[in-house]
Amino acid sequence: MANRFNLPDLGVGLGLRTVHYSHIVEARPTVAFFEVLSENYMQTAGRPLDYLDRVADRYPVVMHGVSMSIGSTDRLDRRYLAELKALRDRVGALWVSDHLCWTGVAGRNTHDLLPMPYTEEALDHVAGRVRAVQDFLGAPLVLENPTTYAELAGATMPEWEFLGRLAEQADCGILLDVNNIYVSSKNHGFDPMTYLDAVPYDRVVQFHVAGHTDHGTHIIDSHIGPVIDPVWRLLGAAHRRAGGASVLLEWDAEIPGFEETHAEALRANEFIGGRA
Amino acid sequence: MKREATADAIGTHERASATPVRDAASHAPVGAAPSLPERLDLRFMQEWFARIVTTPESEPAPVDEGSALALATPSATLTSLERLEIYRRSYHARLVECLADDYPALQHHLGEEAFDALCRRYIARFPSTGPSLNDFGRHMAAFCRGEALPEPGFAADLASLEWAIVLAIHAPTARVITEADLAGIAHDSWPGACLIANPSLRFMRLEYPANAYFQAFRTGGNPVLPAANATNVVVYRTGTSIWRMELAPAALVLFEALAGGARLQQAIERAAPLLDRAEDIQQVAGWFRSGVASGLFVGVAAD
Repeated sequence: MANRFNLPDLGVGLGLRTVHYSHIVEARPTVAFFEVLSENYMQTAGRPLDYLDRVADRYPVVMHGVSMSIGSTDRLDRRYLAELKALRDRVGALWVSDHLCWTGVAGRNTHDLLPMPYTEEALDHVAGRVRAVQDFLGAPLVLENPTTYAELAGATMPEWEFLGRLAEQADCGILLDVNNIYVSSKNHGFDPMTYLDAVPYDRVVQFHVAGHTDHGTHIIDSHIGPVIDPVWRLLGAAHRRAGGASVLLEWDAEIPGFEETHAEALRANEFIGGRA
Repeated sequence: MKREATADAIGTHERASATPVRDAASHAPVGAAPSLPERLDLRFMQEWFARIVTTPESEPAPVDEGSALALATPSATLTSLERLEIYRRSYHARLVECLADDYPALQHHLGEEAFDALCRRYIARFPSTGPSLNDFGRHMAAFCRGEALPEPGFAADLASLEWAIVLAIHAPTARVITEADLAGIAHDSWPGACLIANPSLRFMRLEYPANAYFQAFRTGGNPVLPAANATNVVVYRTGTSIWRMELAPAALVLFEALAGGARLQQAIERAAPLLDRAEDIQQVAGWFRSGVASGLFVGVAAD
């Protein structure tokens, strides 16, 4: 129990994906926990929820969202938050995470994780909204560092400082995606270890790892394919500094069968155990 | 009545934090930027960024090389504009993928290029406003009717059928009744019996044999555009399976009436004019039994 929120270290888990539903409910493989994409189980009353209920009956579940739009200048969507909270309570999710980003403005949703300008104005804005969400949920919100392909002009601090100050100011948790750090470090030209050095690890509740796609001029956070060793090594370094936290593999395109996906996730143990 | 399963229909978009993979950054048409205020506050930046991202890729985005610098810094390998273009491509690619998930047979019918173009027009016409993509494709059938497609009526029918499958996936789950549940109903109570419809039921009157096309597509065939020929289809879900069943005109009226709350006698009377011969009334009993056995109903109430 290394984080200040007393949220458990669940071990190495896997993102719940529709292509694996049948295998999971029928074969009941041993998996430490599943992370579910919150919005996939919202605005539905049918089959996705049926599967999720069956998974949640058997496995620890955490929720990971993509549409809270915590950095948007639109009003917080109270209906969305209410549905999110109801879903959390329904499945007994141990925590709810989303991204340090905005996804839309003026009532439209781009369904993309758009970058924040790392300014004092944005910091105050996001911190206030995080506190409001936490008051509503009655629990700490866990925010993930996003992959970015553009750095907005006018930044007065690097992303790692923004994330750390935000977490302190809003008293929220951090989901540290080490693949995102790697991808952004290549896209923007910084040393990923500088990022790792700045993270307040007592707030790190969870880690993400994933594959990505290198286009030469930039890297896309595609969540395709296996995790490369430099990302695994970043996980190892961050995990040691945190003194442990739950680890999750995201594989979201060209998803292989369950066993292969799970085996890739379990590779994390080679690196967080200090053997690599 | 023959029913066909669509057990592997997904209906849920793997809306993750992943970015769709597309070609490397490229130079896009350069557009006219808005006049910039002295200080770009957060609201202005977000509105401008969103306008750039959501502008169709066939059009110049409201940004030029100079103004892009006011919004985003360049990297060692990409200009500011090229970096913003990554987001514009991802926005459109993600939503096209979402529609392709919902409409695989429509994509097959139109071909990838025409389907992609159709989707981009759809995205411009119906931008997403909700947190989930589960209902993003809901306007596709009506949209197809107004588009310059080879056969917009067929495209619309196919889209209606595929959207009915999505709706069935997301409709509430209910335990269906079986013939055994009907055993306790007294013979003279049957005319006044009411059935409660499976909440996933969707009835469709189609101008084209879209279900046959869809079935051929799903089973690995390479169906071609069929001639117009009216068909009726019901789509519904039992457990995790989605079912499609073609119905005779009278059967459609019978089941629609029952699903709408009509008593059995009333439903039969509505269907009767569509029956060819008096003895076909016996067929109604067969349809009814088959409908119950197939899972069209989840409850029955008899006086």
